[in-house]
Amino acid sequence: MAQNASLMSGVPELLVLRLLSTQEMYGYELARAIRASTRQAISLGEGVLYPALHAMESRSFVKARRRTVSGRTRVYYAITPRGNRRLGELSGEWRRIAGGVRALLEGA
Amino acid sequence: MATQRFVSLSRRLLRAGIAPRRVKRLIAELEAHFADLVAEQRSAGLSEEESESQAAVRLGTDDVLIANMLARPELHSWARQWPWLAFVLLPLLALPVQFVLSMLAAVGVLAFSTQVLGMSALHPGAVPWVVAGLQAYGMWIAPMAAAGAACFLALRSGALLTWPIVGSALIALLGAATNASFEWSPAVPRGALSAGIGLHFPDLGLISSLRATLTILTVLVPILWLRRKRRELSSLP
Repeated sequence: MAQNASLMSGVPELLVLRLLSTQEMYGYELARAIRASTRQAISLGEGVLYPALHAMESRSFVKARRRTVSGRTRVYYAITPRGNRRLGELSGEWRRIAGGVRALLEGA
Repeated sequence: MATQRFVSLSRRLLRAGIAPRRVKRLIAELEAHFADLVAEQRSAGLSEEESESQAAVRLGTDDVLIANMLARPELHSWARQWPWLAFVLLPLLALPVQFVLSMLAAVGVLAFSTQVLGMSALHPGAVPWVVAGLQAYGMWIAPMAAAGAACFLALRSGALLTWPIVGSALIALLGAATNASFEWSPAVPRGALSAGIGLHFPDLGLISSLRATLTILTVLVPILWLRRKRRELSSLP
């Protein structure tokens, strides 16, 4: 049986890495993109988002750089090759769990 | 620099042991995020005041953010992650470094005075006082400076005082084992300066024990008083 203790705690990481795999973004942009791409089902609070981003950076899953756009300095995040591998792992784990829940619901 | 809105958050994060450079960047990000949220509300037709109020709600409470930051050990400062290194080993190593540097400075002063300025044992000027001062620094002040710095940094970063107290005790013992002497007389015209660190802890004499005790008391009494004052201040409503 798969160990899913970090099931929910891995969700912010999965969402962020998935979005960053398409383009680099800054925090506010990410928060909006998460709401939009999950059809408002998931709203990642800033109190969760930024600690997750900083932790992913310290584990080299994302890299941050300051960019000035229209006179405003923002910290943009981009996924790293290591982050891509992590995204693959998390996606696989999530699909397996989702498949298991779906099987249960459909069988019930 | 953090705006007033985030000053308290910044302080709490630093005190909780989050790395300062990370706190600085996080606050900058939150400020930008807050400004974006306000602009979003404004574009939806809300007033400035309503926009700021809504943005603050969207941004969430400080408690949630602090709890999430603290839940990730990799975001803590290195001193918080390895307190034995920050508050024991490095200060302990700083003591012999300071001791050696102060003795080298004494040798330099003596050499300069005799070889360049032409001073002698019969006309020593202020040299004996300067050398005595440097020796006193190496033997008395350096242990207090090393232990005091460790305790002060621990206090400032909100770390437990256990490790700095252990470090201070070891520094005090090592400091008490230092010795130095200086002789400059017509019998010793070039001057003789000797110094060393004798690690004979079981044989520490009365003077050494007093030196160690003095170092510990000089450092710990003000630090414990400061900590008590801080606690009293933080418990005020």
